[in-house]
Amino acid sequence: MGVQVVDKDTQYVLNWCTKYLARDSTDPRHNFGQFAATDPRAAICEAWRFPVVDSHWDGQSAETSYPYNDVTLVYDARATPAASVAVVGTFSELYSPVPLQPVDFLGEPTGFFAVTVRVPKGQVHTYKFVVDGTFLVDPVNPQMATMDNGQAWSRFFTDGCPIPLVLERRERDVLWRLVGHLLPFRLEENSRFIRQVYEQLDRSARDREFPLAYKLDEDVGVVNYIDKLLAREEEHNADDYHACLGIIDRLLRSRFGGADCLTLPPEAYEDLYREMETDHVDGWDTTRYRNPRDFLLLLRRHAMTGAFVHPRHGGNSGAAGWMYLEDRYRDAQGQTLFDWRRAIEAPLGHNTDYRG
Amino acid sequence: MADEQVDIVVIGSGAGGAPLTHTLVHAGRHVLVLEKGPLLRTQAQSPDGLSDFKQDETFATGAEKRLTVPGIANAGDSYFSSHVEPDLNDEPHIYRGEDGGDRATIEGYTAQVVGGGTQLYGGVSLRFTPDDLRLASFNADRTDLRDDPDSDIRKEARDWPVSYDDLEPYYCKAEQLVGINGTRYGQEKPASADYYQKPLDPNPISVHVAAGMDALGMRRYRTPLAVITEDHPPSGRTVPADRDTIKTAFVNRYGDPLGLKSNTWVSLLSPLAGNPNFEIRANCVVTHLETDGSRVNRVAYRDPAGQTRTVSAKMVVVACSAIESVRLLLLSGQRDPAFAERINGNGLLGAYFLTHCFGGASAVVPDRTDKSRTLDSDWATDHCARPEYLHEHGLWAGGAIYNNTSDGALPISLARTWQAMDMDNMWKGYLYDTSMVADGFEDYLDNNFGRRLSVAFMANQVPQRTNRIELHPTVKDKWGRPVAYIIKTWHSHDRALMETLAPQCGDILAHGGAGVDVVGVGSVENSVVRIANHILGGARFGTDPADSVLDPDCRAWNFDNLYVTDGCFMPTSGGANPTLTIQANSFRVGDTLVGRL
Repeated sequence: MGVQVVDKDTQYVLNWCTKYLARDSTDPRHNFGQFAATDPRAAICEAWRFPVVDSHWDGQSAETSYPYNDVTLVYDARATPAASVAVVGTFSELYSPVPLQPVDFLGEPTGFFAVTVRVPKGQVHTYKFVVDGTFLVDPVNPQMATMDNGQAWSRFFTDGCPIPLVLERRERDVLWRLVGHLLPFRLEENSRFIRQVYEQLDRSARDREFPLAYKLDEDVGVVNYIDKLLAREEEHNADDYHACLGIIDRLLRSRFGGADCLTLPPEAYEDLYREMETDHVDGWDTTRYRNPRDFLLLLRRHAMTGAFVHPRHGGNSGAAGWMYLEDRYRDAQGQTLFDWRRAIEAPLGHNTDYRG
Repeated sequence: MADEQVDIVVIGSGAGGAPLTHTLVHAGRHVLVLEKGPLLRTQAQSPDGLSDFKQDETFATGAEKRLTVPGIANAGDSYFSSHVEPDLNDEPHIYRGEDGGDRATIEGYTAQVVGGGTQLYGGVSLRFTPDDLRLASFNADRTDLRDDPDSDIRKEARDWPVSYDDLEPYYCKAEQLVGINGTRYGQEKPASADYYQKPLDPNPISVHVAAGMDALGMRRYRTPLAVITEDHPPSGRTVPADRDTIKTAFVNRYGDPLGLKSNTWVSLLSPLAGNPNFEIRANCVVTHLETDGSRVNRVAYRDPAGQTRTVSAKMVVVACSAIESVRLLLLSGQRDPAFAERINGNGLLGAYFLTHCFGGASAVVPDRTDKSRTLDSDWATDHCARPEYLHEHGLWAGGAIYNNTSDGALPISLARTWQAMDMDNMWKGYLYDTSMVADGFEDYLDNNFGRRLSVAFMANQVPQRTNRIELHPTVKDKWGRPVAYIIKTWHSHDRALMETLAPQCGDILAHGGAGVDVVGVGSVENSVVRIANHILGGARFGTDPADSVLDPDCRAWNFDNLYVTDGCFMPTSGGANPTLTIQANSFRVGDTLVGRL
C-alpha cells in the first residue's frame, strides 16, 4: 500500500504560504541564532512551520482518525519556475515519488506546489523534493538529518513523537533531574499518582493515548517536549541547553566525586537551583554560558508548558499533567474542578463535536 | 495583470468591514472583500472536516520569538504571539516609550485573519451609553472636573455627529445578526428590541461578583457575549446538543473551531457564500489606494503569492483596524501628494488616537470552581456610567464594569499571564518568581488555580491631539513599507478616572463574601503601551470638515467614494468594549452606501 494522499484545498495551502513565505524583504529578521549568516531561511517567518503537521480526520470516527497526522509539503517555485515537483521520503513505501500539485489563485499559478499525505503520529521521517528531476533538500524547512552516507535530507516529525532528536542521552538525564525538581510531580504522593495513571490503563489504551510515550515518569514527558521544541519551534534555544546541561553535568560530577547525575540525591538539584536563582553558581563555566539564571528562566517556561501542554506537542504525556490537576482539585461531592476532557477532542478527551 | 472592476471593495473583514458587506450584498451590490490574513474555517465549513483553530493553549500564545527589528530599544527581547497575530519582525507596530526609545509591541494588533479581531476577542458586546456619544454637551458647563487644569476636556470633547437614537436601530440589527447572549434588564442603555439569546448558567465563581455588586447597590446584568447559546437562524449556525459544552475556557485569544463564537466571518460573511455578487479574497494585503481627483479609482494589493494586483471600484471602504487604516491612508498619501492633501489637508489624520482607560482588581476566592467551564464574562454593571456617578466623582465620562471568568482558567495561561502587565510581558511574572518550584509550585496551584477572580472597568479616554498614529521614519515591514508609529500618553484626568474606577472594582470583590481576598487593584495609568486591543480614533467623524477626517457617514471629506468604517471614526472612545458599536455603525454606513450606489 502506498502513501495516502489527503485532499486539501488551495485555501488551506495559501493560508500558510502568505504569512510565512510571501515577502519582498531579504533581511535576516527571523534569525534568533539558529541560522548561519548566509542561510536564506533567516528571511522567512517561522520557517519551522514547514512541512505543516496538522490533525487528521477520515470522515468516520475519532478513533480511526486519531492515530494519524496530515502532513502538507510545500515547495516554493516562485523565484525559479518548475514544471514538475515531487517528494520522496521515508513516509512512502520504497521511496516512491509523490507528486506535488501547483497551487492556483484566481485560476493562475502562484508558483507554490503542495501535497498533503497521511502519516502516523509519533514518527520521524526524512525526505527530499524532486524538482524537474533534481533532488533537493527542502529550502524552507530548517530540520535536517545526515544519513549514514553523509548526505543531508530534510526531516520532519509528527505529533506525540517520542524519539529524541536534539538532546543526547546524558543531556536528557541531567534535564530529567532538573525538571523533576521544578515540577510538583517529584513529590512522593504525586509521582505515585502519575505512575498509577499509567499503570491503570490497559494495553490498548496505552497504545492509543501514549503513542510510544517517552519515559513516562515524574517529568510527564517534559524532557521529550523540550527535545521536540528545540528540534523545531525553538531551535534557537538548543545551544543554551547543550551548553548549560554540559556545564551542570560536569559541575555536579566534580561536586559529587564523579557520581552519575541520575544517582545524586534531590538536594543536589535543590542546591543548584537556589544558586542559579542568584545567578552565581560555584564552578559554573561562565565562558561557555554567562548567566545561569537566564537558563533557569528558560527552563521554567519550558517545564511549565511541557507539563500541561496538549500531548500532541510531546509533553503532558498521556495527559498526565491534566489528570494530576483533575484529581487534585475536587469539590465536596468528589466532582473534579478541572474537567479538561469536556473541551479536548476524543479519544484523548470526551468531546466528540470538536475533532482536534 | 488585468485590472478588475467591482462595485465596492471592502478592505478588512472584521467588525468594521463585515456588517456593511452583509447589507450591500443583500441589496444586490457586488462586493469584493480583501483581507490581509488567512481564511481559517470552522470544522463544518472546511472540506477536510477540520478547523484551523484548535483548543490548544499554544495557539493563543506560541513559541518564543525574538525582536530583531533594527534600531528599536527592545531588540533581542522575547515575544509570544498567537497564530493569527502578525509577526512583529515582519510588520511591527512601534510605540514611543516614556524614555523616548522606540519599541516594537504586540499591543494594539487585533488579529490578521478573516473576521479580524472578532476571531480572538472574548466577545464582550456592550453598547455605549447615550451620554458616551455626546460628551461635549455633557461636559460643556461642568466646573467639577478633576485634574483638568487646562480645561482640555471642554476643548477636546466632541459630540458624535450621530445620536444614540440614530444608532439604536443598528445596535438592534447587530445584536440580531451577529448572535449575542445576555440580558437587558439593568442596563443603562435603552433598547427598542431584545434580540439576546439566553445566557448559559454563570460560572459559580461569579457569585462573588454578583454579591459584591448587589451589596454596593449596583444594578447588574449578564454580560452580553458574542457567543451563540441557541441555534441562530440568521447565520444558519446550530449549537451542540449539550449546550453546556459551549463553555470552554478557550475563548479570549482563541478562534472557535465550532464557530459558536459569533465572529464576523461565521455570523455575517460566510452566510453570503454562494451569492454571485460576493467574493472574499484572503491573504491579500492592500498596499495603497490610487486616486483620480476626488475619486479613489484603484486599490493595489499583493495577492497570496506576493504578486501585485489592482482592482477598480465605484466605492472603497477601508476597515483594517484603526492603526492599520490610518497607516494605509498615510502610505497612499506618501506616494501621491494630491491624495495626502485631500485626506489630510487639516492635519487630523492619525490625530486623536484613542484606546480605553482600563484596569480593575483581582481576588483569590476561598472556594475553588472549575474555571474551564466558562465563557469570557458573567456579570456587568453600568453603575459607573450613570450621570449621577460622574457628577459625584468629578469625572467627564464613565465606563462599564464586568468580571472576567476565562482569565487564567487553564494551567499554562495562568502561568504566562501571572502578573503580566501587558502582552509584551507575557510569561515574565511567572518566570521571575523563582520560588514557585516543587512545594512552592503546588502552593501556587492550590492558592490560585480555579480561585482567581477579576473585575475590570473599560472607560473613556480623554482625546488628545498629540496622541496619534504616524508612519515610522525608518522601520519598514516585509513589503518595504513604513510601519505604524504609535505616540500616546495618558491625560491627568485619565489617571484620576482610573484611580476612581480601579478601587471601585476592588470594592465589588471586597463585598463579594467571606474569605474573598483582594490581591490586586490597578490600571494602565503607568503604561503608555497598553491598548487592550481597543484601537479607536485617528480619523474621527464630525460635522465640520476643518475638525474631522470623515463626514457623518464616515466618508472621507474630500473624496466622493472613500469610506472608513473601523474604530478610527470615533471622536471619543466610549465607556465599553467597542466592537458592537463598530458593528452597529458599519450597518448604518451600509444603508447609506446602498442609497448611493
